Amino acid sequence: MAQEAIVMENLCKDFKVLNRREGLKGSIQDLFSRDYKTVSAVKDVSVTINKGEIVGYLGPNGAGKSTTIKMMTGVLEPTSGKILVNGLVPYKDRTRNCENIGVVFGQRSQLWWALPLVESFKLLRDLYMVPQKEYDEMIELYRSLVDIEPILHKTVRQMSLGQRTLSDILAAFLHNPGIVFLDEPTIGLDVSMKSKIRDLILGLNKEKNTTVILTTHDMGDVDALCKRIVIIDKGSKIYDNDIEHLKTYFGSYRTLRVRLDNNDTWEETLIDEKTTDVMTVITEYQKSHKVKDIQLQEISTEEVIKKLYEGGSV
Amino acid sequence: MTIRKYIALVRAGIMESLHFRLGTAVTLFANLIYLVLVYFLWKAVYASSGTDVVNGMTFTDTMIYLILATALFNFLEMFVVWDMSRSIQSGAIILDLLKPMKYRSYTFWKYSGSHVSQFILAFVPTFIVVMIVTKGAIPIGLNLVKFMVSVVLAQIVNFGIEMLVATLCLYTESTWGINIVKETIVLVLSGASIPLAFFPESIRNIISWMPFRAIYDIPLQVLLNKGGSDTLAGLAKLWGMQLGWCVILTVAGVIFWKISVRKITVNGG
Repeated sequence: MAQEAIVMENLCKDFKVLNRREGLKGSIQDLFSRDYKTVSAVKDVSVTINKGEIVGYLGPNGAGKSTTIKMMTGVLEPTSGKILVNGLVPYKDRTRNCENIGVVFGQRSQLWWALPLVESFKLLRDLYMVPQKEYDEMIELYRSLVDIEPILHKTVRQMSLGQRTLSDILAAFLHNPGIVFLDEPTIGLDVSMKSKIRDLILGLNKEKNTTVILTTHDMGDVDALCKRIVIIDKGSKIYDNDIEHLKTYFGSYRTLRVRLDNNDTWEETLIDEKTTDVMTVITEYQKSHKVKDIQLQEISTEEVIKKLYEGGSV
Repeated sequence: MTIRKYIALVRAGIMESLHFRLGTAVTLFANLIYLVLVYFLWKAVYASSGTDVVNGMTFTDTMIYLILATALFNFLEMFVVWDMSRSIQSGAIILDLLKPMKYRSYTFWKYSGSHVSQFILAFVPTFIVVMIVTKGAIPIGLNLVKFMVSVVLAQIVNFGIEMLVATLCLYTESTWGINIVKETIVLVLSGASIPLAFFPESIRNIISWMPFRAIYDIPLQVLLNKGGSDTLAGLAKLWGMQLGWCVILTVAGVIFWKISVRKITVNGG
C-alpha cells in the first residue's frame, strides 16, 4: 500500500447559486429566474497527507474547510482536480470509501439517541462488519485510554455534551478506519474535557496509526495535536507546513517585556530576531535604567493564525 | 455477510421504538377515537341506503375492513419524507450518507425495526380484539401466512412511494404540501379510508392498476380471504401485482435517487 492516505491535486469546487433579488417582487421573479452566479468554494488546492499524520486543517469561517472535507468523504463531487482517499476516488466509490473512514462532526451525533452507548457500538460493529475479536480489543483499548464504564450503559440523550463528543469520537474509531475526520470536536467543551479528548485522539493515533484530519477554531487543539497544519482562506491554500515553522511565518518575532526600576508597569518591545538581537535591546534598556525583571514571550499560534486570517500576507 | 448489517439495524430499530412506549399507547387511543367516528359515519351511510348490503359489503364487513386498515396504517405509516427533508435542511443527512451502506437500503432497514414492533404492539392487539368481537367473521388458517407475505410486499411498495416522494423533495426544498398530497392520495386510493368496493366501477378499474392498492387493499383482501385470494390463481394475481409494483418502484426509486443525489453532491446539501 502507498504511503499516502490522502492525495488532492489542483482540487476545485464551484457552486452555482441563484442570484436572489430583493423584496416580494424580487422573490416572485426569482421563481422563474435562470440567473445563476458561480461561487468558487475551493480553488486549486493540492495537499498530500501521509498515513499516521495528524493534520490541522484550518481557516476562517466560510473558507472552504467543510467543502474540502465533504469532497474527501465523497459526499461532494469536485468540479475539477484529482482526489484519492486510501487509494479510492471517494465520490465514485462512496460506500467503499466510507468503510475506511470515520467522521465526527462536533455539532451533531451519529449515535442512536434513545439507545445506550454500548448498543450504538454494537450496531456500528455490525454495520462495519468488525470481527468480534477486533471489537473486543478496541473496547479494551478504549478502557485503557478513558474511563468509559460510566457512559457505556447510559443512553446518549442523557449524556452531557462532553460525554457525547467523547462517545462520538470512540464511535468513529471503532471500525479502525485508516482516516478519521474530526470537524470541530472540542466545540463547546470545558477545559478538562478538551484536554481529555485531546489525549484520547493522540492515544488512538499512536496506537492505531490512524490518520487524523482535524478542523478546529481552538488553537489549543492545534498546539496539542498537530505537527503539521494546512490553512486555507477564500478557497485557496495559503499555508502548509510544520507548526514550528508557522511561528516564524511573519518573521521570528518575540516579545520582550521588561520592568524598569523607575515604574512598575511592563514595557513591551516586539523584536524580529532576524534583524535585531534580543541582547542588544536589553543592553539598550540597561544603559538608561536598572532592569528589575525580564520576560521573553514566544508569539502564540493564535496570534499568527489571527494575522493570517486577517489577510496579512507575507 | 451483509445480512448481519440488516439484522443489526432492525434490532436497533425495535429497541428504539420500544423506548418510546408511551407513543404506542397514544396511537392506540387515537385509533379508538378515529374508529368511533368511522363507526357512526358508516352506520349513517348504511341507515340512509335502506339496504343491509351496500356494494356487496355488509356493515360488519365494512367495519372489519376499516378497523384492520387503520391498524395496518399504524404500522405501515412511514416518516421517510419528513425525516429526510429535516435531515437535509439541518445537514445531518451527511451522517447517513457516510454509513458503509447504500442510503436506500440503510433507510429501509433502519425503519424495518419499528415496523416489526408496531406490528406486534399495534396490529396484533387490534386484530385479536376484532377477531373476538366479530366472533369468527375473520377466517383463521393459511390466510394468516399469506397475509404476512402480502404485508411484507406492501411495506416494500409503501417504502418505494415514500422514497420517490422524499427524493422529489430534494428539488422542491419544501415538503409539507407534497407530503400531504401524497398521504391523501395513498389513503384514499389504497382503501385505507374507504373500501375500494365503494368506488364507481370505472374509477375502481383505474385504481386497481395503481400501486396504492398494493399497500392496504390487497393485504386486507388476503387476510379476509376475499378478492379471489382463496384460489391459487387469484392469489397469484394479487401477489404478482404487489411484486410487480415492488420491482417498478424500487427500480424507479433507485434511478431517480442516483440522479438526484448527484444534485446534492454537485451543488452541496
